[in-house]
Amino acid sequence: MTAPKKEIRIALIGNPNTGKTSLFNTLTGMRQRVGNYSGVTVEKKTGTWTMPQGQEVELIDLPGTYSLSATSLDERVAVDVLAGHEAGQTAPDLIIVVVDVENLRRNLFLASQAAELGVPMVIALNCWDVAEKKGLQIDSKLLEQRLAVPVVPTIAKHTRGTLELAKAVERAIDTRPKLVRPKWPESVQTALSKLHDELITQRGESLREGELQRLLFDRNSAVRERLESTPEDYEPIIKATRDQLYKDGYQPDAAESLLRYRFLNPLLNDILERQALLKHRSKSEGIDQLLLHKFWGLMVFIGMMYVVFQSVYTWAGPIMDLIEGGVGWVQGIAADALVATPMLQSLIADGIIGGVGAFLVFLPQILVLFFFISLLEASGYMARAAFLMDKLFQWCGLNGKSFVPLLTGFACAIPGIMATRTISDNKARMITILITPLMSCSARLPVYLLLIGAFIEPRYGPSVAGATLFGMHFIGALLAAPLAWMLNKTLNRGRSAPPFVMELPHYRVPQISLVFHRMFESGKEFVVRAGTVIFAMSIIIWALLYFPRPFEVTSAVARDLGNEFTESMHQFESEEAFLEELSKRTDAAYLEQSYMGRFGKFVQPVFAPAGYDWKITVGVLASFPAREIIISTLGITYALGGEIDEESDDLRSTLTNAKWEDGPRKGEDVFNIPVALSIMVFFALCMQCGATLAVIAKELNWGWAVASFFTLTGVAWIAAVLTYQIGMLFV
Amino acid sequence: MRLDQITKNGLFRVKSLNCDNECVARLMSMGLLPDQEIRLMHEAPLGDPIAIEFNGCNMSLRLVDAANIEVEPIE
Repeated sequence: MTAPKKEIRIALIGNPNTGKTSLFNTLTGMRQRVGNYSGVTVEKKTGTWTMPQGQEVELIDLPGTYSLSATSLDERVAVDVLAGHEAGQTAPDLIIVVVDVENLRRNLFLASQAAELGVPMVIALNCWDVAEKKGLQIDSKLLEQRLAVPVVPTIAKHTRGTLELAKAVERAIDTRPKLVRPKWPESVQTALSKLHDELITQRGESLREGELQRLLFDRNSAVRERLESTPEDYEPIIKATRDQLYKDGYQPDAAESLLRYRFLNPLLNDILERQALLKHRSKSEGIDQLLLHKFWGLMVFIGMMYVVFQSVYTWAGPIMDLIEGGVGWVQGIAADALVATPMLQSLIADGIIGGVGAFLVFLPQILVLFFFISLLEASGYMARAAFLMDKLFQWCGLNGKSFVPLLTGFACAIPGIMATRTISDNKARMITILITPLMSCSARLPVYLLLIGAFIEPRYGPSVAGATLFGMHFIGALLAAPLAWMLNKTLNRGRSAPPFVMELPHYRVPQISLVFHRMFESGKEFVVRAGTVIFAMSIIIWALLYFPRPFEVTSAVARDLGNEFTESMHQFESEEAFLEELSKRTDAAYLEQSYMGRFGKFVQPVFAPAGYDWKITVGVLASFPAREIIISTLGITYALGGEIDEESDDLRSTLTNAKWEDGPRKGEDVFNIPVALSIMVFFALCMQCGATLAVIAKELNWGWAVASFFTLTGVAWIAAVLTYQIGMLFV
Repeated sequence: MRLDQITKNGLFRVKSLNCDNECVARLMSMGLLPDQEIRLMHEAPLGDPIAIEFNGCNMSLRLVDAANIEVEPIE
């Protein structure tokens, strides 16, 4: 057995908004893999970079961070990877620090922290073009001399500088240049060597010098979670060294910033001097005078959100119709081809093709939304939107970045949940994911329209109907607020929310190829990872609705219908009409006989307090994979056929005339106003969407998906029962 | 003056910072240190958060956190 060839690994780090990901894309082409770091939800992106000499190196795109203080998950991952503590990996051979020329000082702070982990380094001075345009000139040669590592100007967008970067990297792999490091004052040195002695020498922890600094300087460093010793063991040691540092006149939380900048400033001051002369207002500031204006900024924001929402809602509409039409067309072809084998016909047409259609139909909304999100993010507006909206969300532990996902939820929860990836605070992201399904999505609309059209509008007129429709859209959002507040109180108690300081980056013209790349990536990910689950669920529900299929059902229906036919000679105009009626009634009878039908009758008592008979119960149960299914299920149970929509007068009049078949209320109307409202409330709140569950499972985990399913279903049931019971008091 | 109590945009100099506040600690690692000049740029429509500029970077921070930064106006 030969040892595998040692592959060179290079980590890319940098502040957010430095064009790091853009550089990563340029270097790797599109040859990249996206996954998660084990055990955490931080996205791990790796790719292959082919060097000019033909050698291939592995490039790791670390999450963008301002510092390595390791309080957030992103920072912790960065420290772990750089220090070689990522499971199954050694430390990278080289770090490329991507530095934004316009924020040199702040960016080099991160480089300086990373250098303490002992890995060789090359610096990429990115956005050189923007800086040149603004008249910033940085003497990269001088900087290189001062910092003792190669400094290469790059423009990620136009691949300018990548060849030079590759050459510098090739050289650096051999020469292993290290960034100059500050000489710490004596008290810091003492503290560090004490930590070294106690933790590494005495307790055998495997820690690098840079990690000791993290333990010393950062109050809640996640590095301590990695220690082998118990907290009771190491906490007093860390506390004692920090206390000593404080006595020596260095406040530990502030010491690193003060000392590192004190070290960096003399190296940079004269290089940055010309920058200081540029006192004129930058373009971004001018734009912000409008976009962050107290009144006009808000107006522009509302306008922009209107466009985004309308696009997700209406632009995607025709494409979704097209997909639905296409799926229907294919189903028709398959059904015709397999007419001889009814079970296979139903499996392929309704189960498989219908199942594929069930998730493909969400694709247009996801693509349209991610087009806008990428555009808003890449241009720098997303942070402004969060700035404008932040106050609304502060009280429940969320922040302004929750706005776009929640708004999108009104069109469809799936793109909304995927959009939460823009929220960097993990807890806020989690809460936003869990409350997004409460926003009334467009799939609920058919249910509202059917019931309002059949029961509210005829009796109370269009204005009450409109108000009801509005109310149904509002009720979920109303419930989401206290739910978010409760989640905020219970999730990770004891751990304070990460600080919400957010950069308002300079505006940039988005790179269109990246916008499309991101849009297609999100679409692909949805189809591959959520699609399979949705597909499986659709097949299971199909089977529950199809089996068993005793043959006696057909003959019984035929006999009954034949009797009716002989009793009233003129009921059917033609033989075809008779056969159609026969087939509709057979379908209804089969549904009643199916496992789902039997289960519906079995659990009907559970829904009795909400006023549902077994037919509504079956409709509700069958709608768990996708709520819009209730319309066709009601169509089948009431023997009107499954090809029916919410505007159908037949369906509306059938519902109005439906009577209880047995039980204490035999002969009474099944549907009255309280029942109609109770069904709408149930649909407004319930988690009846397999696709949403699959996406929650993918973004968080199955535990949360299942928990949110049961919570929302429970809440929906309670609300539906309350609606019905209170409503009945007024009838 | 505390940064959260300032109502008028303009130039200020940082006098002291309370680094017990995590946001402040974070801003310090970005270079917001005593004697640093900052500019109060914007206030969100609901009055919170605010946007400040220092060293060429624009940062948004909430009033609760801004209360931990002591500043004085630069004439």
